[in-house]
Amino acid sequence: MKRLLLAVMAIIVFSSHTMFLKLDSYFLKPNTSATIQLYNGTFNKSENVIDRDRMLDASLIGNGERIKVTNSQWSEKDSITLLNFETGEEGTWVAAISTAPRSIEMTAEAFNTYLEHEGIYDMLEWRKKNSALDSAAVEKYSKHVKTIFQVGEKKTNDWQTPLGYPIEFIPLNNPYELNTGDSFKFKLLLNGSPLVNQLVYADFKGSSNAHSHDDTAATDHHSHDNKPSTSSEHTHDGSTHSHEKEPEKEHRHSEDSESHSHTSGQQLRTDANGIATAQLTADGIWYVQTIHLVPSEEEGMTHESNWSTLTFEVTHSHGADTHTHEASEGGIPSYLYWLGSLLLVSILFLWFNKKK
Amino acid sequence: MRGVKCKLVVFGIFFLAPFMLLAHGVSSADQEILNTGGLLSYIYVGAKHMVTGYDHLLFLVGVIFYLNGFKDIVRFITVFTLGHSITLIGATYLGIKADEHLIDAVIALSVLYKGFENLGGFEKYLKLKSPNLLFMVFLFGLIHGFGLSTRLQSFDIGNSQFLTKIVSFNIGVELGQIAALIPIVFLITKWKSKKSYDSFYKAANFYLIIAGVALFVYQIHGYLNGAH
Repeated sequence: MKRLLLAVMAIIVFSSHTMFLKLDSYFLKPNTSATIQLYNGTFNKSENVIDRDRMLDASLIGNGERIKVTNSQWSEKDSITLLNFETGEEGTWVAAISTAPRSIEMTAEAFNTYLEHEGIYDMLEWRKKNSALDSAAVEKYSKHVKTIFQVGEKKTNDWQTPLGYPIEFIPLNNPYELNTGDSFKFKLLLNGSPLVNQLVYADFKGSSNAHSHDDTAATDHHSHDNKPSTSSEHTHDGSTHSHEKEPEKEHRHSEDSESHSHTSGQQLRTDANGIATAQLTADGIWYVQTIHLVPSEEEGMTHESNWSTLTFEVTHSHGADTHTHEASEGGIPSYLYWLGSLLLVSILFLWFNKKK
Repeated sequence: MRGVKCKLVVFGIFFLAPFMLLAHGVSSADQEILNTGGLLSYIYVGAKHMVTGYDHLLFLVGVIFYLNGFKDIVRFITVFTLGHSITLIGATYLGIKADEHLIDAVIALSVLYKGFENLGGFEKYLKLKSPNLLFMVFLFGLIHGFGLSTRLQSFDIGNSQFLTKIVSFNIGVELGQIAALIPIVFLITKWKSKKSYDSFYKAANFYLIIAGVALFVYQIHGYLNGAH
């Protein structure tokens, strides 16, 4: 019973934060103000803001130009970091952020739970096979995220520009030339080279359930950041480590009802060329995510991980003049309703008029 | 005879315009408008859905047939508006929705109900006094609002200004309702003084019953066959 309780507690507690760049709409008008939301938590709920000095790079890429985001473009709302910008000329644009590494110290059990929870099964398997499940870990981690959005109608090739991040998804098709039902092919690069046999998760948030009311919901979370300053101590399973109280609680863990969302959706594996394909099965905001975690030779570290996500939106069609889901679609054409009803009302009127 | 033909054309257009439009469902074009048009686009799409939402309008046609005088119309339309605003805003904000076909099937039944009541069906066939109309209009208002909410939730409306967007959509619904009601009230009021009004009344309400049944069957078929 105690073991079961500990396992349950561990699952609840050890929920790490994935980073996503999100927009309310991924279809924007040229030369208008827009906002990109930087979530750190799950896809549906951001747990904390990200300090600007954590960002090694923040860029907007459009029409062949890479524009550095300035400090004045950032703001914060609740636990979401906001990037305010002007959309510029028509084209397929990319926004991207790369964060500086941080480290975290974990007990063996916490580390195992984290691997299980985040779907880092290769490392978990390795630990099992090599009897390393009892080894504690000090992990150096960093996050590198992208979003692709469409400004106006014109499609440009910026979506395939490599940004030189430690890990990054490079689409092999422009997501805005794809529709629901299509396949989305992408290449995963690690330090510029194809990352082979890497687990990637692809999932989406459907259009019909696109909003969330939990952005500001109170959560009972605490950090596992091992910075000694301003920390209070808290015990997990007999070992003690620090719990940072500062606002930016990177890689912290929370009681989150969506704590299993990290590994939901399609489970993919990159091939020998670092390529994998996700099936875009529904309208909505799609995301691919991966965590590449390997043993580290660096002094004081046991592991190093690089996290990456890519978001974009998929619809049935991307033009105002394309097809709709009207009631007549696939059913009786409108003109038949029109003719049938006109005939019916006329007959009824004449019949009642004659009867009178 | 010429007068009868003329009236036929007028009320043919009056009843069938909604079927001409038939854009009651979620369209990618509407999603595009919402994506790029700000809060005004929510007002526009709300108005469009009301004007082209034939089931809502058919129900209101049935209500207006029953009423006498402008004050009466304002009273009943206010109750209907109150009802659908409660569920449209409340259900959307709370993320409560139903299967679109099922809720549209219930709305179709409200059209059938109104035609049946207007023709004295309760007294004639069920030997019952028809339920309080003001209460029923409020009740059906709640149901229609839930249908509109389900429709609104079919769109990706994002997280920012969430409540404002819902309220904007609701304002659009009200504006669309007013725009649609003006010609309907005008036509019914004008026709009341004509000899053929009785035939028009019966034909229109029989049509509501048939349209209600047809829409109900259509939606249930859609639900059972997953046609949406």
